[in-house]
Amino acid sequence: MWLEDVGLRYHRRGPWVLRQVTVGVAPGEAVVVLGRNGAGKSTLLQLLAGVLRPSRGRVLDRPSVVGWVPERFPADQPFTVDGYLVSMARVAGLSPSEADRTVRHWVDRLGLGPFRTVRLAQLSKGTAQKVGLAQALLRPPGLLVLDEPWEGLDAVARELVPQVVDEVLADGGSVLVSDHRGETVRLPGAREWRVADGAVVERASSDAAAVAVVELEVPVGQLPATVARLRAEGHHVLRVRGQSAPPETTCPAVEPPFEVAR
Amino acid sequence: MTALVRFRLAGFLRTGRALAPVLAGLLTLGILYGGGRAQPAEAYGVSAVVLFPVLAWQTKILLDVEPDVQRRLALVAVGPAREQAAGLVAAAVAGLGLVLIALVFPWLVGGVTGPSLPGQRSVPAGVALGLWAHLLALPAAVALGALASRVITRSAAYGVVVLTLGSVCALVLGLSKSIAPWLAPPLLPTAKALVGPLPGSTALLLTGWALAWAAVALTGYARARTRRA
Repeated sequence: MWLEDVGLRYHRRGPWVLRQVTVGVAPGEAVVVLGRNGAGKSTLLQLLAGVLRPSRGRVLDRPSVVGWVPERFPADQPFTVDGYLVSMARVAGLSPSEADRTVRHWVDRLGLGPFRTVRLAQLSKGTAQKVGLAQALLRPPGLLVLDEPWEGLDAVARELVPQVVDEVLADGGSVLVSDHRGETVRLPGAREWRVADGAVVERASSDAAAVAVVELEVPVGQLPATVARLRAEGHHVLRVRGQSAPPETTCPAVEPPFEVAR
Repeated sequence: MTALVRFRLAGFLRTGRALAPVLAGLLTLGILYGGGRAQPAEAYGVSAVVLFPVLAWQTKILLDVEPDVQRRLALVAVGPAREQAAGLVAAAVAGLGLVLIALVFPWLVGGVTGPSLPGQRSVPAGVALGLWAHLLALPAAVALGALASRVITRSAAYGVVVLTLGSVCALVLGLSKSIAPWLAPPLLPTAKALVGPLPGSTALLLTGWALAWAAVALTGYARARTRRA
């Protein structure tokens, strides 16, 4: 699907949040959307998901089934987990038996089993976020839009997100993910869009090989030696945390939130 | 879309916020029928007028109970047109419930009587005309409530202003000496028409007027929604 020359502002005389954005994502492709707080990541994702309509420009070839995981799941609703998901499956057009089967599948998969009869308002943030993830997957989405999907998830569930993304991609769907915590290293091979000053810039990947960030714990005494050894082996040390003196050579200015070796 | 209508009605009924408009409706009807006995058609005509603000308020509550993000999730699932329509249909169904209460209520408290003089309408005819009067008020009230809902007005204060001004204007502009009676839905004209014999042409005119008013207001709602998710 494509955004063609898309501009968006929330009010008629308001500032342009996005202007003249032309980007596209192909079936089977994953895109990570990066940017500062308030840069317009969520706005861009909501345009792609079809929540917002562009003030200028066009959206072309959006897949018919879209799954959108909002940044915060709206837990202030008088339903149980099961009741909510079955209702949303019915809203999405599934028959009663299909709805039951699909909901059971995702409830088991996301570990929501113990919470089936719990009211949404009583869920912890992470569990509510899982319900938000489940509702987006009730029909296999042609486009899956995840707004900060790792927020509040426990370790097990964090591993689940890339699995789900891979499945959607394997089915020929497209996936868009926003993230500000560096979790997207879990999605090797994804394209990167950076949102800043109302524009969306694709970051050219330096080479086709995927990179990952590894966090290490090193005794302070061995720190200079370890950093030196890692550099000697060709690794890229992004940042050292938890000590006052910087390593003897300064690393080039890269993305600040990463803390480790590349 | 039926599933979304049912989902929204469930969300409305389960929060207990559904109680407020029902109580307001009962209170209004209690005051209306407290004065004495009347012929059904006449009484129902007035009841439709006084219930108009309550029906509009109920619509606003029903639409506002759903969190903004949940409304957007529904929009992604079914598309904008059906998402909007489902909200309006859910509000209309809830409104029908209130209308039903309004039709039954006077018989429970003895606010209406059957025909006592020759030439007066029979009870079924009176009830049918009463239903008609309420059904004329309902679409206009749903449209006003939708225009006052949070997704359009964005703030609680504006919402109350739209709801109150809309209700007051609907009544004041409908008075017989009004400068622009066609700006308001035909609430008072309908009530007045039900006092005497009702010619078919008048009934047709009032029906067309009410539907046209609701259609214009709902078009405004749909247009405003293109910029507001």
